[in-house]
Order: sequence, then C-alpha cells, then structure tokens
Amino acid sequence: MTHMFYIHQTSCISPQQTFYNTAIDDLETPVNNRLHAVEPAYNDMPKNSLRRMGKTARIGIGAAMPLIKQVEGFNGIIIGTGNGGMEDSVIFLKEIIEYNEGLLTPGHFVQSTANALASQLSLASLNRGYNITHVHRGLAFEMAAIDTAMLLRENARNCYLLGGVDEISSYNYKLECLDGWYKKEDISSGGFYSSNTTGTVAGEGAVMLLVNNDKYNAVAKVVNISTLHTIVAMKMQQHLQQFLEQHINTNIDLLLSGENGDSRLLAYYANAENLLKNDIAVARFKHMCGEYPTSSAFALWLACKLISGVPLPAHMLKKGDSKTTYSNILIYNCHKGVQHSFMLVSKTE
Amino acid sequence: MGPSARENHTALRKGICGISLPDYLHSRYAEIFPAGEIKITTETLKSRLNITDNSVTRTTVLAAHAFEEALDDAGLSREQLTSPNTALIGATTVGGMCLTDELYRDANDKGMNSPFLDSYDCSSVFLYLHKRYKMNGLANTVNTACSSSANAIMYGARLIRLGMVTKAIVGGADSLSKFTINGFNALHILSPEICRPFDSNRQGLNLGEGAAFLVLEKEEDARNKKVYAEVKGYCNTSDAFHSTSLSDDGEGPYAAMMGALVSGQLQASDINLINAHGTATENNDEVETRAMRRVFGEPPVFTSTKSNIGHTLGASGAIEAVYSVFNIINQEVYPSLHFTDIDKNIGLSPATTYGKLPIKHVMSNSFGFGGNCTSLIFSES
Repeated sequence: MTHMFYIHQTSCISPQQTFYNTAIDDLETPVNNRLHAVEPAYNDMPKNSLRRMGKTARIGIGAAMPLIKQVEGFNGIIIGTGNGGMEDSVIFLKEIIEYNEGLLTPGHFVQSTANALASQLSLASLNRGYNITHVHRGLAFEMAAIDTAMLLRENARNCYLLGGVDEISSYNYKLECLDGWYKKEDISSGGFYSSNTTGTVAGEGAVMLLVNNDKYNAVAKVVNISTLHTIVAMKMQQHLQQFLEQHINTNIDLLLSGENGDSRLLAYYANAENLLKNDIAVARFKHMCGEYPTSSAFALWLACKLISGVPLPAHMLKKGDSKTTYSNILIYNCHKGVQHSFMLVSKTE
Repeated sequence: MGPSARENHTALRKGICGISLPDYLHSRYAEIFPAGEIKITTETLKSRLNITDNSVTRTTVLAAHAFEEALDDAGLSREQLTSPNTALIGATTVGGMCLTDELYRDANDKGMNSPFLDSYDCSSVFLYLHKRYKMNGLANTVNTACSSSANAIMYGARLIRLGMVTKAIVGGADSLSKFTINGFNALHILSPEICRPFDSNRQGLNLGEGAAFLVLEKEEDARNKKVYAEVKGYCNTSDAFHSTSLSDDGEGPYAAMMGALVSGQLQASDINLINAHGTATENNDEVETRAMRRVFGEPPVFTSTKSNIGHTLGASGAIEAVYSVFNIINQEVYPSLHFTDIDKNIGLSPATTYGKLPIKHVMSNSFGFGGNCTSLIFSES
C-alpha cells in the first residue's frame, strides 16, 4: 500500500492560533492545567443553533465550515471522538437527579449521543452519504481514519470529511482528575515535560480534513496507520519495529511524539525514540493541544503543516536539528498507557 | 427472552414477549413504562462469568455473556481469538452510563470516588472484553445511537472484505438505565403499554436491554465449517433531516436499503423478509414503510422483533442480525406481536403468525438519532 489517503484541505480549532492562520510559534499556555480551544467568532453559523450546541459540536462544526463551503461536495462524514456528547449527558443526568426524574426537556438528551456532531454536520452540508462516529477512546480518530481509507478503497473516486474532535467537559475533567490523569501541581506549558510526576494537562480541539485518492495538489498523504492495545512496553516496541520494517525504504525525518509529561508513559515514548535512527529529530506537541483522546488528529494536522513548509517551532523540538521542510513524519501517540497509535505521513511525491 | 441464542430462538417461534414492568431498574418510570428487562441481576451474571473486577458495569457484563456464547458456538481456539488478525468491533450507546446515579456523584464531586471512574464511556465495554480475552487484533467502538451495532457489523465485514483482518467478532450491548428512560420520556415516545409496531393504535416504543455478537470470517476460511449465513450487503446513510425524527419520504432509510441492495448485487425482489427497525413510534413506522414501498413497490414479508424485546438501542442491530440468521437457517418467519389494526397511513400489516418461508435473503434495518440509517442484508450461505 503506497497510501491510505491524500489530504487536500485541513482545518483546526485548537488551544493555539490554528484556525484563521497558522501562528504556532507564539505559544498559548495552559490556565489551571487546562488548554482551552481558541474559538473563532463562528460568523457563518446561525446564532440560534450555536446556542444549543455543546462545545464538541460547536468546535467540530466551526472547524468543518470552511471545508464545507470550499468544496462542491463530499461523499460522507467520518468522526472520531472520545468524549463527544458526554458533557450533554452529564447535564441531562444532573437534571434527572436534581428534578427527581421530573418533566424534562429533551435537548441535552438529544445532544448527548456521540454522533450528534456527525449528524449536525450532515445537516449543515446536506450530506446524505456515509455517516459514522467512532468512540474508541484514545484510538477513536485512528478508527475513523482507517474507516475513511476503507471507503476510499471501496469507492476510489470519492471524497470524505474526516474529523477528530474532543472537548474539556466537566465530565471528563472531574472524572479524569479523580482517576489521576491530570497533574496536581500547577505547571507552566512545556514545564510538564521535566516535572517527573504523574498526570498531564487537559486539552481539546477539532481537526477536520478533506481526503481522497487524488495526489494532485494534495497537502500530504497518510501512508499507514497502525494501532495496538497493550500495557507492556516491550510489545509496543516490537509492534513499532514491525511497522518500521514495513517502511524500511522511507527516510523518516521527524518523530512527532505524544509525550505528555506523565512519568508513567515515558517508557513508551523513550522506546519510540530509541528505535529510530539517532539523527532523526524528535518534536513534541502535547504542550500545544493538551491531552485528549483524539489529540493524534492535532498531530496529523501539525504534520500536514510541517510538510507543507510551516517552520517547526523551537518550542516543539526535543532532540536534533530542525529542517526547513519535512518529507516523512512518524506520529506516535499513547493514550493512558493502553492504546498506542502509529501514523506515517509523507509529502506527496 | 433468555440468556442464550437457543432460548431466544424458541421464544421467537412461540411468539413470546419479554416485555413487562421492570423489576430491577431504579427509576420512578419503572412503574409506568414496560421494558424488555433481563430478569437476572448484574451480580448473578458477574458471578456466572467469574468477573470479580468491581469497575465492570451491567452493559459490559451483558456484552461478556453474549461474547462468550459466540466464542463457544464458533469454536474459536485460544490461538484464533488472540491472533492479531482477529478484530473486535463493538457498539453501544448507553455504555457505562447505565450507572446514572454513580456518574452523577462522581462527576459532581458528591462523595467518594466510585470504582467506575474509567467505566462510563462506551469504549470501556469493549476495552474490557479485549483485555479479558487477551485479544491482540484491531479493536473499535462505534456509537451512532440506535444503529450502532449494525454499523459495527458493517465495519467488521468491510475489514474482512478488504483483507485487513481474517476474522472479526462484531456486536453490541446496551442496558436499561435511568438515563435513557428519562431521555425517551422527555421525547414523549415511550409507550405506557406493550409496544405495537405498525399498529394504528401504537403509542411509542419500549426500551429493552441485551447483547449479541457474531463471529465473521473470510469465505475461504469458513469452508468446511459450520456457517450460518453470509453478510451479503450493507449501507449506511444520513437522513440529513432532524435530530430525532425521520424525513417524511424517508430519504435516509430509502438510500440505506437501496445501497445495501447495490452492495450485495441484489434486486429488491431478491429480498424475502425484512426485519424492520419497527420501533412502534408514530414517525418511524410510517416513514420506514413509506421508504420500503419506494424500494420494493409491494414490500416483502416484514416483522419487528422490537415487539418481543423492546428497543435495545445500540445492541438492537446485532440482536436483530442474530434473529435474521435464525430466519435463514430455519427458513421460518416469527410473528410480529401485538399488531391488530392496519394504520391507514401505512396500509401494510407485518407478519403476525409463525410460518415457514423459503428465505434466501433477509434485510435488517436500523435507524438512529441524528438520521443515521443502516441496512444490512444476510443471505443463505
């Protein structure tokens, strides 16, 4: 397989300046260990429906709007989200408990299904094609991307809207705090890489991509995506080794590492670095987007930017020298020490 | 209707209805709305499965129960189950939210942390199965509301068709919850009586709970083995109309049914039976039958097994896939229950009696919130 799909248009709402124009040299830093998305004005979205939308839907549709407006049409909508709809779920269940199962309005219940975003996108674009939401936590975006690659093998001439979206909600923030996934001490951006403590910084974002099989004018191509579930660092290492052997003729020139400052996950990321040749540069991105289940979609968006010539910001570089452009980027991300993702993204030949 | 495929088959043949007022569901609506409740406590199911992990929810326990039965029936060896080429594709829409009260307390800091912090989302169900059965292949969780497990079956079938895996264990699970019964009540689509799909006096749906899994395998690998049926066609579309109701002409359902026929290289006249979505809401039954007329002219025999077990939401596509397989391997139609009067807006009657029927191809419809429409076709192998 020489490619899974070609990426033609990208759009990203994140805690950094990524939406109107890409200004990732200037770093937005976390507040109270949270990196909230910088939201645009959403001028092209009806105010009434904006008010009813949860944040996942808002940033997801907001990120998709420029793509929906630019293209004549696409053939389906494939979304990955780990926490989509959960905020509305928690609001609705709060109403259930606090009104003792009284008469409730259905608004939050309707928005509480994870596929509310994909369905609203189909309404916004009047798209009656394939429509799905993958919710497999830290691999939700990867499952959506693999789905899209399958669709493009089944329908070679089609074009799809592929997205990865998550929000910091009261649901995931409180629960994951209780579960020990966020740092207890307040840390500045970047500082968490050297903190040597458990936990990380919460993040959110929406990435939307228009993809097809056409290499002409493409921004980049996704060559391969592989996933793995294990807590055993050795198994992860073997898996990556096999992945690299499949691409022995590809000169990987950058590792985008999902390192997030959680000391429990360092071994996995160290494995990834050690398996690559010594001269390959390593860059990190979690200080920009924070940790969330579909953060690998943000990494893929970054890879597209770097491949198309946006300079690698100094704050991202962990090891090696930065180059003016990159041709083959390996993204490795590990979610909660269980779910591992490997994505190879290349410049279009 | 029973904790096994065999018992479900027997109940379908006899026209047994498993819907009654819930005994175990903690909700004030348990005294008002009947539901397809599994009359076995979570604790009993856990001990039968030797699950001691206290973070496991009812949805996960139901899933594990059905998963084990599917493994046994398929005779999968440990080696086959743990092969990197065996995928697990699951679906649920309630997931760990069946623990409504616990989630409320945890999410609002109202007390001690429960053991369920990592169990509320949908993927927790299938991450647990993947770990418990030491699987090494691709794992995924789909949530498109009421069409979830139909889409999981489709994803697994496509992985196999494209040669990305050799086996896929596909299915779904959902359990009754205070969350969903309040949600559907707020939408005013719960029936205070046992649901009557397609009847002129239908008053809405009953919720249900359950789980089902199917083991899918490449055709070449399945030779000389017990094979129940073939996944012949599938299609997922969006109705692009409204978050909780279908468009008048059923554009999404029409496109899903047509797309499934195209993908299976079949004509409408090849379909012998439709396992309809048939929730017994005003909107669904009217629109679904209208879309059926658009596809089939005069539709083939159709039934709704929601009249037996209620609407099991994210599990319904997988449970109805198993029921469709029963139709094929036994060449029989099970009665759609509680139907008495034809709705003049529908003008059609589901099959209401048990009967033998030559069945080569069954279409199974699943439509979800947000206009998510999936049609699957199962065929005689």
